[in-house]
Amino acid sequence: MNAVEVGIIRVTSSCKGCDHCTSICATGAISGEMGEKHHIDLKKCISCGQCLINCPFSAIEDTSMVDTVKRALADPDLFVVVQEAPAVRVALGEEFGLAPGTNVKGKMYAALRRLGFDRVYDTEFAADLTIMEEGTELIHRVFKHLGVAGFEHAGPLPQFTSCCPAWIKYAEDKFPDLLPHISSAKSPQQMFGPIAKTYAAQKLNVHPTKMFVVSVMPCTAKKYECNRPEMMASGYKDVDAVITTRELAAIIKEAGIDFVNLPDETADNLVGLSTGAATIFGTTGGVMEAALRTAYELLSGQTLGKVELHNVRGLKPVREATIDIPIKDLGRTLPVNVCVVTGIKHVDGVIEEVLAGRSPYHFIEVMNCPGGCVNGGGQPIRRDTY
Amino acid sequence: MVSILAEKGGITRRQFFKGAGVLAVVAVVAGVFAKIGIDMFKVSDDYIAKRAAGLYTLDEKMAIRKSHENPEIIQLYKDFLSPGEVKPMTEKAHHLLHTRYGQDIPALLEELRHYQGEAA
Amino acid sequence: MSDVKGKVLKHGEQTRTMHWLHLICFLILGLTGIGFYWNIGWINDLFGGPANASLVHRWTAVVFTAGPAIYILLNFERFSKFIDTISTFTRDDIQWLKTMGGYIPFLKGKVPPQDKYNAGQKILGWVVILGCLLFILTGFPMWLWRHAVSPAFLDFCYTVHFWDAMIMMLAVLGHFFLAAIHPQSRVEFSSMMLDGYVDAGVTAHHNAKWFANLSKLE
Ligand code: HEM
Repeated sequence: MNAVEVGIIRVTSSCKGCDHCTSICATGAISGEMGEKHHIDLKKCISCGQCLINCPFSAIEDTSMVDTVKRALADPDLFVVVQEAPAVRVALGEEFGLAPGTNVKGKMYAALRRLGFDRVYDTEFAADLTIMEEGTELIHRVFKHLGVAGFEHAGPLPQFTSCCPAWIKYAEDKFPDLLPHISSAKSPQQMFGPIAKTYAAQKLNVHPTKMFVVSVMPCTAKKYECNRPEMMASGYKDVDAVITTRELAAIIKEAGIDFVNLPDETADNLVGLSTGAATIFGTTGGVMEAALRTAYELLSGQTLGKVELHNVRGLKPVREATIDIPIKDLGRTLPVNVCVVTGIKHVDGVIEEVLAGRSPYHFIEVMNCPGGCVNGGGQPIRRDTY
Repeated sequence: MVSILAEKGGITRRQFFKGAGVLAVVAVVAGVFAKIGIDMFKVSDDYIAKRAAGLYTLDEKMAIRKSHENPEIIQLYKDFLSPGEVKPMTEKAHHLLHTRYGQDIPALLEELRHYQGEAA
Repeated sequence: MSDVKGKVLKHGEQTRTMHWLHLICFLILGLTGIGFYWNIGWINDLFGGPANASLVHRWTAVVFTAGPAIYILLNFERFSKFIDTISTFTRDDIQWLKTMGGYIPFLKGKVPPQDKYNAGQKILGWVVILGCLLFILTGFPMWLWRHAVSPAFLDFCYTVHFWDAMIMMLAVLGHFFLAAIHPQSRVEFSSMMLDGYVDAGVTAHHNAKWFANLSKLE
């Protein structure tokens, strides 16, 4: 069955009707009075999984593709490659008793190799690719806005980021007029898929039908995203299966791997190398910061001394900053206004300004989950009380 | 002896303070309970900042910190996406790495089918 | 039984009204609560489905809370005396506990004279005060702050609320058995459930200390 139709997030029979989740859900997809079992309307649900990680009784679950992944790993004919999102490496350790934020990148690669993946790559590579495409797209839109010849076909400003599938569905459902503003660049997960099944498959001499692409995501909406019908640019399903951070931890435990004592390994090369810019994709403001690092250097022709952009960091739901970028080709300096939204509840005001033509921004990053992917619906569930 | 006995009104100081004392304790317990709730609320989201800090620390430790300097990205463009140069948003990149949304998806699906036909 | 004749007014009108009110509320709360926890269809249907049962539970809880609160404000003296009695534990109370008031056949020994409430009733008094306080402190956040508090706190409230309900229902069941069924103690049934009076002879026997005090005042 098609998971897009079935939906990713379900309320199980353990629901106590405490009604906490209706305040978490930004789209009003959850219905039910206090005391009765709640229900998720799949048409409205954006699969973000925030209700899941915030349910006091663990009564909400997501569709699992773990069995599909296990079957692929057991199939000797399949060449199984895996990519992992940035936010996974600072949370996976929590399932093995490590503190939140502990970097277990090296152990994560090691564990995936021991699970039998033929190549361990990294979504961060694709995040760098996203910056190349999305950053260039932004530059084109800015040039069009400034009236530079040759960029007439670029889209309107401001440009919105497109990495977050929950945000995409939210915009598609609620603000269809906004869609031209959203970057046409695919998310890193969906860039990795077609690159793996074309470029990497060619280099590795693997037929794309024999390649199985798995991604490990901090996110439940990524499961929905990989099943979108248009995600087959390679000619095949670009990303075959998505598992969450929680599910990866469960698989590692089931395989009896002593995760904490694994040696640190590195990702395979070809499409596995990543940069610091890609790493911070996992937190709110990270895509913005990564894009600005690249856009600044490409536009100005200068090297950034200090790469950190502290004014787009933090956990405030809506943040804004202005960065003066000297544009070499035009011989002038452009103050670029950016905005970062984290928590989809806070995006409506920003969108309404854009639709009314009053928005001061050039580039707007939107992440559905409060805090960004590090707090995604597929991450380890924490109930810290002290 | 048939009579009806009943307690008389009025209370002693000791009784008054005991009654008032219990009410005071109830108020304090309620306050403590509310404090527990507020404290639990305050720390409940701390892990988000910790995970984010983990990523920022990792970024600082990386040898390369800008996407366009990633050698494998440069190689991907030179070998595949824009042969010979690093040029984003080529037609090939458009096909593989860009998408469309909402109402534009049926047309995109049509194009993808077309593309597949060509490739085959 | 005893040569004392007449009646003793043990519980006034407001006290009895409050007790009835609390009892009815408790039964409704307990029934609906059990319905939620074990998801028992017919209980929920009795109240018009789970959502309505929840509404009944919550608004009954308002009465369950407001009733005693108003009673205490109107009868602060009575309340203070009650607290004084149940917070006074003497050697006689300890002895009563050791012999379990003579209710357990094989526990031999002389049952000492008791105050207005025997040691068991005193303990029940504290259990009820504490139990109700916990119901209130966990129940209202579950209702009114369900959107504001952290999931961990909600879980905590539900767990405490549930175990509180289990303990309280057992306590009330025991209380009911002694007050309405057990032949030795149900003689006091009318004092709370009906007209407020107990037979003087019974009081002289069960609550000798209190009775002595009352007689002294006459
Ligand atoms: C101040 C008094 C009380 C308040 C404000 C209160 C409130 C609540 C609320 C809001 C719920 C959540 C369930 C729902 O509505 O769907 C609940 C559940 C429940 N209540 Fe109460 N209640 C009170 C007293 C009682 C009493 C006296 C009992 C039992 C004798 C009781 C037994 C239960 C039980 C068993 C549950 C289900 C708990 C669970 O699902 O874990 N409650 N109560």
